[in-house]
Amino acid sequence: MKQMTYAEAIRDGMRVEMHKDPNVYLQGEDVAQFGGCFGVTAGLYDEFGPTRVMNTPISEAVIVGSAVGAALAGLRPIAEIMFVDFMGCCMDELFNQAAKLRYMNGGKCKVPIVVRTPCGAGMGAAAQHSQCVESWFTHIPGVKTVMPSTPADAKGLMIAAIRDDNPVMYIEHKQLLPVPGDVPEGEYVVPLGKADIKRDGSDITIVAWSWMIQKALAAAEELAAKGINVEILDPRTLVPFDKDALLKSVAKTGKLLIVHEEVKTSGFGGEIAALVCEEGFDYLDAPIKRVTAPDTPIPFAPILEGAFIPSAEKIIKAVESMF
Amino acid sequence: MASVGIIANPASGKDIRRLVAYGICFDNQEKINIVKRCLLALAATGVERVMYMPDYYGIVPRAVDGLSKSHQLPIDIVEADMEMTATQVDSASAALHMKQAGIDCIITLGGDGTNRMVAKNCGEIPLVPISTGTNNVFPQMLEGTIAGLAAGVVARGLADFPAVHPTKKLVILKNGTPIDIALIDAVVLKDIFIGSRAIWDEERIRQVVVTRGEPDNIGISSIAGNLQPIGITEEKGMVIDIGPGKTSLIVAIAPGLIRPIAVADFRIMGIGDELKVKNGPFVIALDGEREVEVGEGEEVSIKLTFDGPRVVDPRLALRQAVAKGYSQGEQALKNLHWLKEEN
Amino acid sequence: MDLKKEQLLDMYKKMVTIRAFESKAVELFAAGQIPGFVHLYLGEEAIATGVCASLETKDYIASTHRGHGHLIAKGGDTKIMMAELFGRATGYCKGKGGSMHIADVNLGILGANGIVGAGMPLATGAAFACKYKKTDAVAVAFFGDGASDRATFHESLNLASTWKLPIVFLCENNGWAISNSQENHQNITDISDRASGYGIPGVSVDGNDVVAVYEAAGAAIDRARKGDGPTLVECKSWRWRGHFEGDPGAYKDPKDQADWLLKDPIPRLEKNLLKLKYATQAELDTIKAAADAEIEAAVKFAQASPQPDPSELLTDVYAD
Repeated sequence: MKQMTYAEAIRDGMRVEMHKDPNVYLQGEDVAQFGGCFGVTAGLYDEFGPTRVMNTPISEAVIVGSAVGAALAGLRPIAEIMFVDFMGCCMDELFNQAAKLRYMNGGKCKVPIVVRTPCGAGMGAAAQHSQCVESWFTHIPGVKTVMPSTPADAKGLMIAAIRDDNPVMYIEHKQLLPVPGDVPEGEYVVPLGKADIKRDGSDITIVAWSWMIQKALAAAEELAAKGINVEILDPRTLVPFDKDALLKSVAKTGKLLIVHEEVKTSGFGGEIAALVCEEGFDYLDAPIKRVTAPDTPIPFAPILEGAFIPSAEKIIKAVESMF
Repeated sequence: MASVGIIANPASGKDIRRLVAYGICFDNQEKINIVKRCLLALAATGVERVMYMPDYYGIVPRAVDGLSKSHQLPIDIVEADMEMTATQVDSASAALHMKQAGIDCIITLGGDGTNRMVAKNCGEIPLVPISTGTNNVFPQMLEGTIAGLAAGVVARGLADFPAVHPTKKLVILKNGTPIDIALIDAVVLKDIFIGSRAIWDEERIRQVVVTRGEPDNIGISSIAGNLQPIGITEEKGMVIDIGPGKTSLIVAIAPGLIRPIAVADFRIMGIGDELKVKNGPFVIALDGEREVEVGEGEEVSIKLTFDGPRVVDPRLALRQAVAKGYSQGEQALKNLHWLKEEN
Repeated sequence: MDLKKEQLLDMYKKMVTIRAFESKAVELFAAGQIPGFVHLYLGEEAIATGVCASLETKDYIASTHRGHGHLIAKGGDTKIMMAELFGRATGYCKGKGGSMHIADVNLGILGANGIVGAGMPLATGAAFACKYKKTDAVAVAFFGDGASDRATFHESLNLASTWKLPIVFLCENNGWAISNSQENHQNITDISDRASGYGIPGVSVDGNDVVAVYEAAGAAIDRARKGDGPTLVECKSWRWRGHFEGDPGAYKDPKDQADWLLKDPIPRLEKNLLKLKYATQAELDTIKAAADAEIEAAVKFAQASPQPDPSELLTDVYAD
């Protein structure tokens, strides 16, 4: 075990795989000497040199598109898109190319790429640099979507994502980057599709991921003082989704609250709710609830942005309303 | 009424020499810029009518459209009423129309190939050829304003010999009938296809005939220039057999490509002399472009004549015009009446 | 460039095979035997043929929605292609791709593509892989005049030129972006002019002359292989058919269409082959008949092939 931040853990995951597999390389805007907009790739250029860590032009379409082409030709690219908000500039390359080539070709090719991109509000970065849009990607068959919430998960999921033979959206949260934690050294793998119980409990299941795990944990502490014992389930990857772990937890607690930073309408929470209704309705003794961002763009003023982000207080209120 | 023709080839400056040598890419926007400068200069010399070749890019109309509002030309600008084929034939048709329309001088924008097509039909009309490429001998790297001024004074009859001088040409005869011409060089190649037209590979050359050649030329004619230079108005040409034998040279065969050339033999050709070429199949390149496919058993000859197009030397033409006072006094200033105050 | 008799005859064979495949596709589509959309390459056979004549199996191509010609020229099997057009289990994609999505990475075919301009970033990435792995393989991105208006064109040429990748951007200017003529969709006529914006060479050639295409593409491929970076090659041609089968192309001027039909690349090559005595008319007829027979056999193979099993719907979404 080693103490490191979430950002360092992501980097460590990339380092381990780049040492192990010469076909892994990293490209994106300002990822080389500059070390990435949030410093996640700092030092990799010095360690691996200019042929494996490359700055690209501000050209999202060809960052992702060329990664797809290189993957078809046998490489395992990691492409960084500086903010998940910029995925709009390369959606075709992800959803019509990366995601579909294998299926369209009858399974005769594979596209092992990782698109790394930071998400999330809380920096005063306003509507075009703060979003969570994971359900854009979960809606695309052929793509996997990974959203780690701790340093250890960040590393283990990164290694799994690089080794996966499919296109993987690896979405890191900006607020988590400086968060420290214990991280196993060496080749530590967290398999995709395996949920993690972040807090054991018996009275209600909260499903959350990424930064919202921290909000849920904070809420759970206060709720425990009030006698409500919360279980927090972190799916860690939305696709593939660990359905069994969720149903097991709901069976145990009988209640489900879903927390996500995406806006409410068509957010991934709706999918989870539908899933539990279809396959675990009998476990429920209260209606499912959601705490999400409202259906608005993200405002700039800190006070407005604060109101936008789901908070521990809102989670507590929602949980209390379910008893 | 002084009139000038403009034949601007939209396809020049884009051939394969950009790949196999270091030729510049001459895009059509730059040709438009040159034509703008030509037109403004023509107006300043008192030219009242311009006829132009239509082309698929619309170089001249775009030039006119692109002029500043304070530069509205007092010139009647008309398109030659011809069928556009978007091939090199257009340059020849335009020249024919200009001859029939009594145009006084033609400005061309293109390379040796463009001028070769113009020369087929321009008759006695003097040419001001502007080079839009790096691989040319006949047209010069000429600034558009100066080209326009020179064409203007020639059109107004303010310049003549030696500022306007005759040139030589080569006539290609197949089975005794003239089928084509070249202004600078005819090159017998080992190739059997016209293909991408350009020539760049010295190893494909069998024999060369030139009307002239200077050591500061680029292309095939510089072989002659490095053996025994022949000037633009000298009454002779040269035949060169390529291959080991007599001597070896270094020659600027294409932009940036200075290559070794082995010369088996060379001889001066007099005006009226004819060279017979046998042993087809082969291709003859005319002024740098593969043009004539010769089949097995066909007899082809190349004849040197002195009835190439008349060409303007811009410096001499403007000197003659200055001596006649074209740029001085009230009449000269009146030619600028159409310029609006800029402020 | 030296072009030997065998090479020319091989190009002729490729061109007539593409012609036979596409002509048959016209019939089959009209007869309702091919579902979906098909976009045909009739009239543009010289381009794919002239380009792929300088490529090896290890080299990559990215194709377009009008991709049958590229696939045949790069070594695709017409039987398996035809089966894919029919949506059969024996097709290149087990019937899951169709005309617009045939790919075979083992042949260096990164795939036809239903998104205009999407092949350029893919080929750029494949070219990067060639350079990264230090092979001397190259990539060719085929795209049309319409695709040269897309952002992917700019981003790909910009990245490939900056990184000096071994790639040829091969524009098939067939005069039409669906129903929009070139003059209506871009303010230039020679797409090769755009090369200078990326600091790379650009050339335009007659796309209906297979020898001209071979020379220009060959020189560009040679540059790429030597490490001299990308080239933009524009081949000027004409789309004989509508954008897709079923589009009558009413927006075309019949005179333009008639003029271009006269520039058919196949008789042009035939004339040369005969003149050079590389083949007799009888020999050419034999090659054509063989191509027709190959395509007939492909149709029979496709028709006799099984439909995909319904369980195939759910497979191949993810690699295990």
